[in-house]
Amino acid sequence: MTHLGTGIGWRPEIADAVETLGVDWVEVVAENVWPGHLPDPVRRLLDRGVTVVPHGVSLGLGGAERPAPERLTALAERAEALGAPLVSEHIAFVRAGGPLTGSPRLEAGHLLPVPRTRDALDVLCENVVIAQDSLPVPLALENIAALLSWPGEEMSEGAFLAELVERTGVRLLIDVANLHTNHVNRGEDPLTALDLLPVEAIAYVHVAGGVERDGVWHDTHAHPLPEPVLDVLAALCERTAPPGVLLERDDDFPPVAELSGELHRIRTVVRTSTYAKETQDA
Amino acid sequence: MPEGTTPSTTDAARQRLALAQTSLLSTLVAGTPAPEGFDRSRIAVQRRALLAKRAGVVARVAPELPEILGEDFRPAFLAYARGRPMATEGYRRDALTFVEWLTSESAEGPGSAPALDDTAREALTAWWRERAGPAPLPPAGRVQVLGRAVVRFMRSSTDGARAAFSHPGPGLVRRGVRARRRGPREAPQPTRR
Repeated sequence: MTHLGTGIGWRPEIADAVETLGVDWVEVVAENVWPGHLPDPVRRLLDRGVTVVPHGVSLGLGGAERPAPERLTALAERAEALGAPLVSEHIAFVRAGGPLTGSPRLEAGHLLPVPRTRDALDVLCENVVIAQDSLPVPLALENIAALLSWPGEEMSEGAFLAELVERTGVRLLIDVANLHTNHVNRGEDPLTALDLLPVEAIAYVHVAGGVERDGVWHDTHAHPLPEPVLDVLAALCERTAPPGVLLERDDDFPPVAELSGELHRIRTVVRTSTYAKETQDA
Repeated sequence: MPEGTTPSTTDAARQRLALAQTSLLSTLVAGTPAPEGFDRSRIAVQRRALLAKRAGVVARVAPELPEILGEDFRPAFLAYARGRPMATEGYRRDALTFVEWLTSESAEGPGSAPALDDTAREALTAWWRERAGPAPLPPAGRVQVLGRAVVRFMRSSTDGARAAFSHPGPGLVRRGVRARRRGPREAPQPTRR
């Protein structure tokens, strides 16, 4: 598993800040970069030896259809253009309708949760294998935040992820803010998920801020990191040393000093975990 | 291939999954009844969140529209978007369709377009004309479609391209030109920076 270190989601609005922050690596939204026409700030990061990982948002591997070859090709091209050691996407569906249902195609414009059923897992596993066969580097999949729960779910998040990894060998991008979101919104204990999922499959971790409104947690990526999210990160770091941790900030961008503070908080949690101390002492 | 993933096994599962996911997405964006077993209040929260997100992305790919409409942009867009799923071609198409709805002759009452003053109507019509030019010939093959879609987004402002993909939305490849009942052909449109 490639060591990544502490990183931040690259956004044009904070391009200058990212250059001064001295992060080990960044993640870019795959659909926002064009091979051969990388933004100059990203090109400069690459030239400095900063790892850049493309993160896709529109593949919809959790959907009923097989992934479109053109979308896989596009993701592969971005991995190659960036010299990335891996690519990431989501366990989600983003579109529905079409020939399988004889109804109009619908785009969600959003990452929607996959029902944790045998059917969905079988389809997801096949879609993941198809994707992996098209990609030049390993694929990591992210657990998403959900407002909704599907009725009649057959498996827990941890068990679902465990079987997905066992059957496909896919890597995991564990978003601890999303685990917290699902704790508030769906009553799902992050610690239970962390106990069940294969931590050795974790390629990297997302951390992000959010806000609670009317009993619902909104994973906004527009607020400072809350303690409960850092607690889930700490719990994860009790179980494994994640190869990478990435701060996501997508809106209401704070000054660079505040971003630096957020990265420091992340590094502190990682550095002071029991697992990290044990491996340091070994 | 790993166990349990043979194509024949997944065909039936794909069918069942498609029905379930389409039913959920349809209630979220197309106004069909909620499928059984879902928390109705959460469905309502998710619907509103999707609408708000869609309005935000359209405002970023087409910043002229909130400029022209001011504080009327958001309520107008939400009135348009409720029950009208976003075009699969993406947010730029959504913005165009929104303006077509705004500038069309429509009856008064809830759900119809707000009345526009002459300045706004002129500005919206000019905006639409700049972006809904005559359609080029349909692409001959998949590679051409990908190339054309990439060129379209490259020509657009980086803000627009970034916003267009800031959330799952338009794919890099359109699924084909479709005839519309009214309005321009949906084809890659050159946009001015």
